[in-house]
Amino acid sequence: MARKRFKRGSHLGALPLTSMIDVVFLLLVYFLVTANFAQQERDLSSAVQAEGGGVRVSDLQPQIVEIVLSNSVVEFRIASRAVRSQEALVGLLKSLPKEPGVAIRARRDVPISAVAAAMQASQDAGFSRRSYVPADE
Amino acid sequence: MISSRKQSGHHKAVDLTPMIDVVFQLIIFFMLTSHLGQLRRTEVDLPVQPGQEQRDGEDAAMIIDIGPGGGYMVESIEVNLNEIHRLASAGIGKESEPANFDVLIRPDRNAPAVFLDRLLNKLAGVGVTRWKLGTMAPDGSGGG
Repeated sequence: MARKRFKRGSHLGALPLTSMIDVVFLLLVYFLVTANFAQQERDLSSAVQAEGGGVRVSDLQPQIVEIVLSNSVVEFRIASRAVRSQEALVGLLKSLPKEPGVAIRARRDVPISAVAAAMQASQDAGFSRRSYVPADE
Repeated sequence: MISSRKQSGHHKAVDLTPMIDVVFQLIIFFMLTSHLGQLRRTEVDLPVQPGQEQRDGEDAAMIIDIGPGGGYMVESIEVNLNEIHRLASAGIGKESEPANFDVLIRPDRNAPAVFLDRLLNKLAGVGVTRWKLGTMAPDGSGGG
């Protein structure tokens, strides 16, 4: 019946163009909103451990990672051992017991990117107890 | 028109287009409002580390940016350590459990650690125990 009517009026069929454009634009906006043009931000969680006190999660002494600048190169020190790359630090931390946790502290001139590297390394090595020890003034 | 439909015995056709229209509008509304927190953040040259994905709707109670020169910013406004102390105290006071008050620190990757230390000492002084370091996912990294 509908076909008959269209043939008679020589129309191809009345498409509701306004609504279609409406939906097409909405789809466009939807994909623009959901597309992430900026880089995704992440985070590294840690506890704050004031020197000589603060948060104590275990009776065991945590492994201390000290970050220093040696000849303008970042160096990560654990006891007497020192490494200069994040990968080497991960390897070193993996060989240590995880139960006591890890405490990170940095010398005042060290860039914060090195602190982030140490936090990432301790996370990658499997330490769930991570804390940062800010140096006293 | 109604009478002609009745005559032909057809059911009233449900027009899906406006419904889809409204559904999309709602989706866009909720997506925009859930991203407002991220839009508020200032641009900082964060350290590049995979870290952990920030969960939607689990925004930190307080977000502090550290500029390359060591300036502190809260919601794009430059603040000093005393103001941060006051803001953190007020924030902790609102929490039923102080341990729930977590702080997201978004530092410039080249800022010296001394500025992070000063900030954390101040925050630890008001009872902050948990903090997160904001990082930027490396290019092409999918998960963390």
